[in-house]
Amino acid sequence: MKKILVVEDDMPIRNLYKEELIDEGYDVVTAPDGVVGYELFRKEKPDLITIDIKMPNMNGLELLDKIRKEDKCIPIIIYSAYGEFTQNFSTWAADEYLVKSSDLTEFKNRVRELLDRK
Amino acid sequence: MSADDQIKNYQDLLRQYNILNQLSRTVSSTLDLNKILRIILTGVTFGDGFGFNRAFLFLIDREEKKLLGRMAIGPSSNEEAWKVWGEIQQSSFSLEEYLNSEKFDTQTRVSLLDDQIKKLKISLVQGKEISSCLEDGIPRNVDLSAGYGSDDSYRITDISRIEAGLTEFLDYPKFCIIPLISRTKKVGILIVDNKFNHREITRDDIDFLFMLSQFAASSIRNTLIYNDLKDSLEALAKLNSKLEFLKEYNEKIIESIPVSIIVLDHDFKVTLCNSNSEKLMGRTKDSLIGRKIRKGLIFLDELDLYYELSKVMKEKRAEGFYKTVVTFGGRKNSDIYDIILVPFKFSPEIPEGAVVIIENITKTVRLEQSLAEAKRLSELGRLSATVAHEIRNPLIAIGGYANRVKKKYTESGQINEENLDIIISEITRLEKIVNEILDYAAERKVEHNEINIGKVLQECISLAQAAAEQKNIDIVIDCGSDSISSREIIMNGSFDNLKQAFLNVFNNAIEASETRDKVGICIQLEEDEDGKYLIIKINNRSYLGSEEDAHNIFLPFYTTKLRGSGLGLTITKRIVEQHAGKIDVASNIDIGTTFTIKLPLVRF
Repeated sequence: MKKILVVEDDMPIRNLYKEELIDEGYDVVTAPDGVVGYELFRKEKPDLITIDIKMPNMNGLELLDKIRKEDKCIPIIIYSAYGEFTQNFSTWAADEYLVKSSDLTEFKNRVRELLDRK
Repeated sequence: MSADDQIKNYQDLLRQYNILNQLSRTVSSTLDLNKILRIILTGVTFGDGFGFNRAFLFLIDREEKKLLGRMAIGPSSNEEAWKVWGEIQQSSFSLEEYLNSEKFDTQTRVSLLDDQIKKLKISLVQGKEISSCLEDGIPRNVDLSAGYGSDDSYRITDISRIEAGLTEFLDYPKFCIIPLISRTKKVGILIVDNKFNHREITRDDIDFLFMLSQFAASSIRNTLIYNDLKDSLEALAKLNSKLEFLKEYNEKIIESIPVSIIVLDHDFKVTLCNSNSEKLMGRTKDSLIGRKIRKGLIFLDELDLYYELSKVMKEKRAEGFYKTVVTFGGRKNSDIYDIILVPFKFSPEIPEGAVVIIENITKTVRLEQSLAEAKRLSELGRLSATVAHEIRNPLIAIGGYANRVKKKYTESGQINEENLDIIISEITRLEKIVNEILDYAAERKVEHNEINIGKVLQECISLAQAAAEQKNIDIVIDCGSDSISSREIIMNGSFDNLKQAFLNVFNNAIEASETRDKVGICIQLEEDEDGKYLIIKINNRSYLGSEEDAHNIFLPFYTTKLRGSGLGLTITKRIVEQHAGKIDVASNIDIGTTFTIKLPLVRF
């Protein structure tokens, strides 16, 4: 079973993603900020990581940067409520950049595509 | 003495009187100092006159401490001496004829001796002979060749009795010093010698030189005074033209500055104004001058200019009126002005008048207004963006869970209650955010009464303590020697609003703290000449990160927290300011973040 790490500070949204991905048949671990997210990346060795940008302690861009220094290949989806981050070069290190939405269809499609490609 | 000698003596006397007579006549015909000095020196050295070989003239400086070499006549060497005397003997001029001749007037040849003496300065030393002769007015006859110790009342033989510099310059041991004194005023000295023909200086010589010195001194002094006067007059004339220039210059400045200037005398009559005031007053400059500012003519907002001017003139104190609308003769001007009234005196004898300075600041004010509008709009833009973002997270959760509920229902015909609970709690979160925004946006009129602020603080502190306990945070209260509960601390304000203001800051401090941190609350009462104050300091250990973060913390929707609208501190600031108080924040790594609230009290 493929393992997905969800890093998201907003609890209801974090749970929403978790439940939806479990429904899709994935094993899901979650982290409320970048620091815990990094620990879980090392410990759990996930197959894919989804990261929110605006987070306390260590934000999504810092986490992305830190992970990419150690692992150039792991698929990462970064998402935010802000569309403007597409212009930020830091987000280009991610495989996908998505704007948050209550419709998770596209999010789930991207997860599947990235895992299939692997 | 033989009869012949007697006759010769009388003849000499007559000759010398004659010379004095000629000299005094010539001297009195001019006010040119150089010419006067030359006449005197020529008279002393002219073969037909006293016939001394050389003559030197020194003038005293203003401080009467030094003699400055001024003019010398005489040959600078033996050869020159014989040559010059030869020429003079060939010409058959008498002294007076010579002095009045063109030859004398055009005599331009500069002698070496004359050049040298101009560089010579002799410092007067009290007790030495030159200084003494200027005190007692008696000529000194010097003969340094006579040998030390042969001084008598008539001769000076000791070189140390003469001020330094003179004997070296003369380079001849026998000479005579004649003081030039006009009444009691020291003018200078005349020195004569016979370096080339070695003729002894006689008592008669000295007597005549003394007589000559009388009128020489007074004519030199008169000329000096005249020249001083002439110089002063010339300087005065220069000053006058400078003043005239300054006056014109000032007038040009007054004309060219973009401000209306009207000068009034004590009778409110216009005595001066610039062209700029023409536009404002609707009259030409000429027709303005002489007119009076009457009661009820010009109003600055609601104030009559006449009364304001009387106040300024009476109290001799300037007064400013800023962003004022001017009503002139009942006609309201749509422009906006800064007006300054300054007391003004033309001269000490005239009572105080005033200067009215009027500046049209309409453009500046309009610019300020459009800037404020732009600032408001940009804040609104920021606000909308933040509001949209704050609402988005709950909306995504609501939408996402609603989708899940629908999906589950389609799949199994069952409704997932947990998912519905999340939807409901997210809606509550949304409502709270919207309420806070509305609270912030509402400009509600707040009623202020006398309240016990100590009681407000107590309530807030016990609420904060309950919240802190949950997070395992210590609240440390420091009230100095005062116990807040035991005394009445009265201020004018709204109990509920102040409670909200304090709670926001206390909760902010608790939320920013880590578990087992301390939050300090320090309460002080203060009094100065302006009144009584309550000062509350709230400190927590967390550092805001930068100067900019500290500065931004009161801006709407600025937050470093995960949850919350970002309006709490903005609302606190507004409430504190509504109570004429102040709130500041300081943050550094060592002490953490401290908010200071200062509120004015009625009594304590």
